[in-house]
Amino acid sequence: MNKTYDIVIAGAGVIGASCAYQLSKRGNLRIALIDDKRPGNATRASAGGLWAIGESVGLGCGVIFFRMLSSQAKRQAHGAAVAVDSSTPHILPQCFFDLALQSNALYPQLHQELIERHGMDFKFERTGLKYVIQDDEDQLYAEHIVKHIPHLQSQIRWLDRQALRKAEPSVTENAHGALEFLCDHQLSPFRLGDAYMEGARQNGVDLYLNTRVTGVLHQGGRIKGVRTEQAGDFHCDTLINAAGAWAAELSEWATGTSIPVKPVKGQIVLTERLPKLLDGCITTSDCYMAQKDNGEILIGSTTEEKGFDVTTTFPEISSLVQGAIRCVPALEQVNLKRTWAGLRPGSPDELPILGPVDEMPGYFNACGHFRTGVLTSAITGVMLDKVVHEEALPLDITPFLAQRFSKVALPA
Amino acid sequence: MSGHPVIVGGGSAGMAAAIELVDAGVRCTLIDEASRPGGVVYRGPLRAGVDLGYLGARYSKALGKLHTDFAARAQSIDLRLNSRVVGGDDHSLVVLDEQEQLQSLAFEQLILAAGCHERNVPFPGWTLPGVMLLGGLQLQIKSNVVKPLGTTLIAGTGPLLPLVACQLHAAGAKVAGVYEACAFNRIARQSLALMNKPQLFLDGLSMLAYLKLHGIPMHYGWGVVEARGEGELTEVSVAPYDDAWKADMTHVRRESVQTLAVGYGFIPRTQLSQQLGLAHGYSTDGYLRAECNVWQQSSLEHIHLAGDMAGIRGGEAAMLTGRIAAVSILQQRGVLNAAQAIERRERYLGQLASIKRFRSGVERYTARGPAQVELPQADTVICRCEQVTREAIDLALEQGVQDMAGLKMRTRVSMGDCQGRMCVGYCSDRLRAATGRADVGWLRPRFPVDPVPFSAFKHAGTEA
Repeated sequence: MNKTYDIVIAGAGVIGASCAYQLSKRGNLRIALIDDKRPGNATRASAGGLWAIGESVGLGCGVIFFRMLSSQAKRQAHGAAVAVDSSTPHILPQCFFDLALQSNALYPQLHQELIERHGMDFKFERTGLKYVIQDDEDQLYAEHIVKHIPHLQSQIRWLDRQALRKAEPSVTENAHGALEFLCDHQLSPFRLGDAYMEGARQNGVDLYLNTRVTGVLHQGGRIKGVRTEQAGDFHCDTLINAAGAWAAELSEWATGTSIPVKPVKGQIVLTERLPKLLDGCITTSDCYMAQKDNGEILIGSTTEEKGFDVTTTFPEISSLVQGAIRCVPALEQVNLKRTWAGLRPGSPDELPILGPVDEMPGYFNACGHFRTGVLTSAITGVMLDKVVHEEALPLDITPFLAQRFSKVALPA
Repeated sequence: MSGHPVIVGGGSAGMAAAIELVDAGVRCTLIDEASRPGGVVYRGPLRAGVDLGYLGARYSKALGKLHTDFAARAQSIDLRLNSRVVGGDDHSLVVLDEQEQLQSLAFEQLILAAGCHERNVPFPGWTLPGVMLLGGLQLQIKSNVVKPLGTTLIAGTGPLLPLVACQLHAAGAKVAGVYEACAFNRIARQSLALMNKPQLFLDGLSMLAYLKLHGIPMHYGWGVVEARGEGELTEVSVAPYDDAWKADMTHVRRESVQTLAVGYGFIPRTQLSQQLGLAHGYSTDGYLRAECNVWQQSSLEHIHLAGDMAGIRGGEAAMLTGRIAAVSILQQRGVLNAAQAIERRERYLGQLASIKRFRSGVERYTARGPAQVELPQADTVICRCEQVTREAIDLALEQGVQDMAGLKMRTRVSMGDCQGRMCVGYCSDRLRAATGRADVGWLRPRFPVDPVPFSAFKHAGTEA
């Protein structure tokens, strides 16, 4: 049972599906999108925040990550658990801002395109993201953020106590105010994944779901195909690794070299459907909150290195709940409907790993998107489509190449 | 940590297990979500002063005996009522207690006896007020002592249909008729198997005689095709079913009723057994259930299953499997030696054997016809929580969705409060038919199994 394609994409989360969708638009490629459902895939677990600035400055999903890093650093420095210090914001490099902002800018058009051409609505909503300031430490942190992003002043707005009350009446009266990121919005993450995938399918991409890639085929020092458990061998010239938290293994098979992608667990809490309680997305130093189009409020999320474990754990869920109630006291009266955990494909520098590797022609990375895969899926699809075809890219791919991890300089 | 075995579910299985443990000198903790133990079969009326004559003498006697036996051992049973187990793992449970606070309860040995839920069969109008599930209606008359409004029509399959019809009539409610989806000859073919429980078989015959005597028609090979009404049920359409349960729409008959009770059998609860990480398999009917061995032991030796969770067999069998689970625990704790334990187990298994043969007979004649999934129209709601229609499911299947998780993401089925308890049966049937695969996945239940208030985390603590 041999199948022949131009391109095989391994992994049909938002990243793989976005690559498939963008490549399928060319209309002249035979593309297979292969996916194996494993517990914890990040697309389904995600909150669906398009928090381009928020995530770049360590808020949203990043806030707990940042606190973890900073408390670790402090603990190492002082040898004991101490209060978390918010004085040094966790701000990603400029190349990430560029990637995130360019990707973010693609969504309004992409939303329209997928609805009009393919009948798939991923529920893009313009919400803004408010960092709610609940104490002096938060205030200090917000000020640092603003200082670090002078070029984005047009996209931020300070809300004082009164303005915040007016904008978000459900937020606690104890809040001092908020820092709002005007271009940070939200969508439904699993609908985004499904929209890309269905668009790709309608454009002629073959879907192989519940199909596990078990090996990579080589010939003459380049990629020749993949082996699967359920559907036999696939022959192809190009293999895109979009395997999310499982990308390291596939890279190893394909190139003989591993990439430093590790699962980073995030637990999430979901409320029952509620009337409009939040006008926009909220991030605090405890958690983030996003009320989705159907009224449910999604509260996230933890950042844990527990391997591929996807159990939800009581203390962590409890701490998200307490954090949410602290910022939106009315939540105390509502029901918690669901919790789950997903595995972010974590990379050590929090930047995705994109593009070709020198040693293995035909192999491309589209992985390591950590906590911003939904946000950067749009640009990732565009970049991969162009890089596979050796066309001009919308931005420099160099900082995202896997080679940045090679510690030893290659001989000239 | 409590050294006592913990039992989840105070129905016939859980109560019998508790009695067996206490009689061997082992105290236990029993958790149930209701305000009274007994489960759906033996909870009895929730208010005092009710004459249960309409439920039959044998039932009243069995009910009385179980509660008396249980009450006599009350001092050795830490009974926690109004408490719901909403999550857990292989060594502790998360319990929403009587004060609506979450507590973590560690266990060394556990018996899961959480029972089953009814299979929902969607058809046009099935979500109208006035359309109920048969077991739910029976519970209304047994425990809440509330009679249904107006005239009731009963449709579905299995011995519960005539039983509830008799109970309703005896309670003074009007029954328009009973529509059993299976042809009479299919039932007759099982009479040998049904004779394994002669008393039940006789009960069945006398129920049929009772219905005849009181002019309640029993129709075989007929099933419901539609329920109608403005805001609430006023009319039910029934039609002859062929062997595959395909309705003959040229012979539709309409009946004016205010209540329709639909009973297509039961599905074991798996929300907890899945969360606890136990191994599961599929029954021939396609539903998921936790696996257990002859000791009622799950894939984890310190966790046992009892009652309908381990396979639908009803209250009497539940008591026996509850006792076997308890015997296994007694052996694990060294209270019984291997020979004693086996001797007791074999005694209970002997009693269970005839019930099993009887139930297999019932299962064979009540086996669902594959055409039943064709009843819903394009706009019929399949997932009530998320208001997902059949049309949306058809489209997803056309688009190549392959499994439960994919269908959930594409259509939102099962994303509501009930976590798919109502729609999983239909969705699984459709997926299996569309993909030709036996395993299309099941819904992975998430904590909490039922919604819990945020305020329940306020004093969240761990019980020592």
